[in-house]
Amino acid sequence: MCDRSRREFLIGSAAAGLLAARPDLLLGQTSAKSADMAVTRWSGTKPAADAAMKDVAVKLTEQAINALGGMKRFVSRGDVVWVKPNIGWDRTPETAANTNPDVVATIIRLCFDAGAKTVKVGDHPCDVAEKTYVASGIANAAREAGAKVVFLDKTRFKEAKIGGELVKTIPVYPEIIESDLVINVPIVKHHRLAGLTMCMKNYMGVIDKRNTFHQAIAPSLADLTRFMKPRLCILDATRMLKANGPKGGKLEDVETKWMLAAGVDIVALDAWGAEAIGRKPTDIESIVKGQEYGLGKIDYRSLALRELAVS
Amino acid sequence: MLKFRSLWRWVTLRRLVQVAMLLVFLGLVVAAQARGGERMPSAWLKAFFAIDPLLLIATALSAHAVPALLLASLGLVAVTLVLGRVFCGWVCPLGTLHDIASRVLFWIWPDRRRRDHWSPWQRTKYLLLVGLLVMALFGSHWGTIFDPLVLLYRTTTTALLPALQWGVQAPSTAIYHYDPETAPAPVRPVAERVHPFVRDYASEPAYEFLRDHVFGLRTHTFLGGGLILGFFLLTLALNRYRPRFWCRYLCPLGALLGIFSLRPLVRRAVQTGNCNQCDLCATSCHGAASGAPGEQWKAAECLGCLNCTDSCRRDGLRFTLTLPWRKEPPVEGLDLSRRSVFGAALGGVAGLCLLRITPQARGSLPQEHLIRPPGSLPEREFLERCTSCGMCIKICPTHGLQPALWEAGLEGLWTPRLVPRLGWCESECTACTHVCPTQAIRPLTVEQKKQVRIGLASFDVTRCIPYAYGRECIVCEEHCPVPDKAIYVVETEVIARNGQKIVIKQPRVDPSRCIGCGICENKCPLTDHPGVRVLSTNESRSDYQAIPVTPDEVPLGEPADDDDDPYAADR
Repeated sequence: MCDRSRREFLIGSAAAGLLAARPDLLLGQTSAKSADMAVTRWSGTKPAADAAMKDVAVKLTEQAINALGGMKRFVSRGDVVWVKPNIGWDRTPETAANTNPDVVATIIRLCFDAGAKTVKVGDHPCDVAEKTYVASGIANAAREAGAKVVFLDKTRFKEAKIGGELVKTIPVYPEIIESDLVINVPIVKHHRLAGLTMCMKNYMGVIDKRNTFHQAIAPSLADLTRFMKPRLCILDATRMLKANGPKGGKLEDVETKWMLAAGVDIVALDAWGAEAIGRKPTDIESIVKGQEYGLGKIDYRSLALRELAVS
Repeated sequence: MLKFRSLWRWVTLRRLVQVAMLLVFLGLVVAAQARGGERMPSAWLKAFFAIDPLLLIATALSAHAVPALLLASLGLVAVTLVLGRVFCGWVCPLGTLHDIASRVLFWIWPDRRRRDHWSPWQRTKYLLLVGLLVMALFGSHWGTIFDPLVLLYRTTTTALLPALQWGVQAPSTAIYHYDPETAPAPVRPVAERVHPFVRDYASEPAYEFLRDHVFGLRTHTFLGGGLILGFFLLTLALNRYRPRFWCRYLCPLGALLGIFSLRPLVRRAVQTGNCNQCDLCATSCHGAASGAPGEQWKAAECLGCLNCTDSCRRDGLRFTLTLPWRKEPPVEGLDLSRRSVFGAALGGVAGLCLLRITPQARGSLPQEHLIRPPGSLPEREFLERCTSCGMCIKICPTHGLQPALWEAGLEGLWTPRLVPRLGWCESECTACTHVCPTQAIRPLTVEQKKQVRIGLASFDVTRCIPYAYGRECIVCEEHCPVPDKAIYVVETEVIARNGQKIVIKQPRVDPSRCIGCGICENKCPLTDHPGVRVLSTNESRSDYQAIPVTPDEVPLGEPADDDDDPYAADR
């Protein structure tokens, strides 16, 4: 049962990967206006009140997805989509320890607009899930957008063959990898061990028994990313946690950046995020490993990149 | 000749009330869960403890304090003065379970002779109560761990719910992970058809419902749950010897309510003209409130179950409103001799002396693994209040709070302690501080709680991966909830086996910032013997355990009033 659906999943993701790389081959048409990576920056007046940031986050997300060719490029009618934000910590949105809930809600809405049957939202938090889901504001925002909020159950993880260089098998959450599409929605954060935590690191929320990852974080993340076959990642940089990450907790460590990136190349997105927070992408080991493993390009400017000023 | 019995019977109403109260009690146990958000745990969760006068009296005696919530129990005292021990007969959920157990045990082993007449041994509970209250008077709250509501709350939390959770989780997990392709070839086609159906429409929905509404997401397991369960099962098994054995012979709350119901306003009167001394009323009596035929009714033993009036075929019994000073209908007292009461009091004093023979009990040997919940009073004051009810243990969202076995001495049996290996103290959570019925744990706001130190982390450099094995790790630093990081990292050059110099991030603890939440120990990749441990060192509530730290620490709670007491440290 499980193997069959995994086979379907692999075939499906191979097809989708092809679709993402060369849409003209499969669809017989060129989508000249769709980029492979989009960066949106807010150029309007910056609202002082935190509540008013919602509008900014919504517009940045919409425009970024639009620049990639719209959510229809990734979501087919009737799809089951798993949106995977970072809901790791019992922290409120303004501390930038979890993904911006308005970004998550917008993605859910776009998925439904593109014809998704079900959108599920869930993460495997480090703090108590019942609390992180609420504190982050994501459970509420996701439910309002019509998504199913799923708590990952420790007993439901299944040992999967990763077949990586370092990680051979690891328990993964079946409901996530059996979805038609996993949308990776992390936030840019400082991380003492990994340097930064962004798209690749966010996949640690689909696995259990994470305690062996930290002794060799970069190759482990590259192995996991290769297994996850990313198709769409949205990197939230509306706020950034610049120090004391990944858990943070102090507003002084947060910088409001008013920007966001989306794309199909996970390494490129992480490289962009590193630059955005003020680090050299080549200093972050997992990004280097990602390129080495052929998961993407560090030089994101060489991609079909579109940078948009949104107001 | 069959006597006409109307559909309306008082005992039917009583049984319905009993079952309803049992369900309410269990519902309140289940509902004690810390959910996200700012909401405080409801005071209704403590409803049963609030009406328990034993907790009120014991706390008033031992801590010289009256938790406001417990004043609600005066209402129960008033009810008891009027109606007698109806709480025991109609409301007490443990009493209901003993009722059920008595019935089941008598159904399995029907005795020829049902020993349901009053026994002089029923006076034991009053003597126990006297002893326990004398202990309370001299500062030990120990007796309340045998309060029936406390007993059932603790047992439900640490034994019954975990057993139920496993019973639901294990089979549904097995079904979830079952792979029909592993079935023997002949039945494989059937298995392949049936399995997804069972999983998707039966086991998973049922499991998810119970997980989301009853158990919560995390696995409940409690250290020493077997002892708690064993004690509970023993009290149930005693019903084989006498129905409601606990209620008749041992229950300290029953004894207290018995004293209040010596001369209740509603008294039982025998209509001598109708009574033929058939003894049916006595054999069905829950509390064994009357002796052999002809002997008088003991109001303090009557649970108000109304089985006697229900069983009487000749309308020979009535409950009537009677003023306390009236001699008729006659009521018998407790029949306690002055000597036995004095002996019980002396026994209480002796018991207390015997509880204080260990260095832990005198406070001269702080227990490193006794990490109390944040907001806990200093140890002696804590033990003057804690009933070991287990509400804090139940509501802790990580299930890191566990019943102590020996860590707090015999006096601290089943009191809460944090076991970081099993769960940490969630930094934004104050649930346990808001549920304590006797305020052994003081209510804290999240901001206050973040200032309270419950212990201190320390690295075991012979275990910690970066120190002992020269590999990167610092999972502890990542999880440290203190915004300025109580665990920080020093990049240190070490020499690898091949002689190469490598730089490793080694974690250290800043004692001026560490609050002892224990998440570092919990998340340490070394799962058997962690590389970082949290011990009770430097806890805010104890001056004795303070270690010298930089002076930016914030004084917490009420400062101990022992400036002029040179022996403060010995208490």
